[in-house]
Amino acid sequence: MLVVEIAVAASLVVVLWRLFRGPTAWDRLLAYNAVSNRGILLLALVGIAEGRTVLLDVALVYGMLSFLGVVIVSQFLERGVRRS
Amino acid sequence: MILNGAAHALAAAGAVFVIIGTIGILRFRDVYSRLQASGVSDNAGLGLILIALVVFAGWQASDWRLLLLLLLLLVTNPIATHSIAKSAFTSRHPGTEDRS
Repeated sequence: MLVVEIAVAASLVVVLWRLFRGPTAWDRLLAYNAVSNRGILLLALVGIAEGRTVLLDVALVYGMLSFLGVVIVSQFLERGVRRS
Repeated sequence: MILNGAAHALAAAGAVFVIIGTIGILRFRDVYSRLQASGVSDNAGLGLILIALVVFAGWQASDWRLLLLLLLLLVTNPIATHSIAKSAFTSRHPGTEDRS
């Protein structure tokens, strides 16, 4: 399990490179989605491995909030600023 | 013992999927190809590792929270991927042409 934690943490750090570099805004949004997925996975892994099940609740709330953020930002990129 | 081995095998398979998705996000040329790599392999990796954690920890440790997390991710992750792809497509973001 420790090997899996290290692999997921390393892939989180590697995906951050796409988040900083990404040519378009959609690349950054996709990288943010991937980073938050790996963060949720890391929270669940650490929470089970160390017996701190509070971290599972944190992972649930973080999943809902990151989903909302991704959908809202992609809708904003699609429609643009609406002038009233 | 058998359950422990099965949990470790599932977690190793999930880690392989996550690493493949990371390589895909880094190396592909286009937003749509990166979306395909990230969406498909992240779903597989997340599902496999969370099922491995359910098998590893048993029912008492996490009382349905892991399965709830798995259900939430399996519902919301395709919606997020589809939303990003629709946003890039309707904004007429050009993909790279096939050079075959």
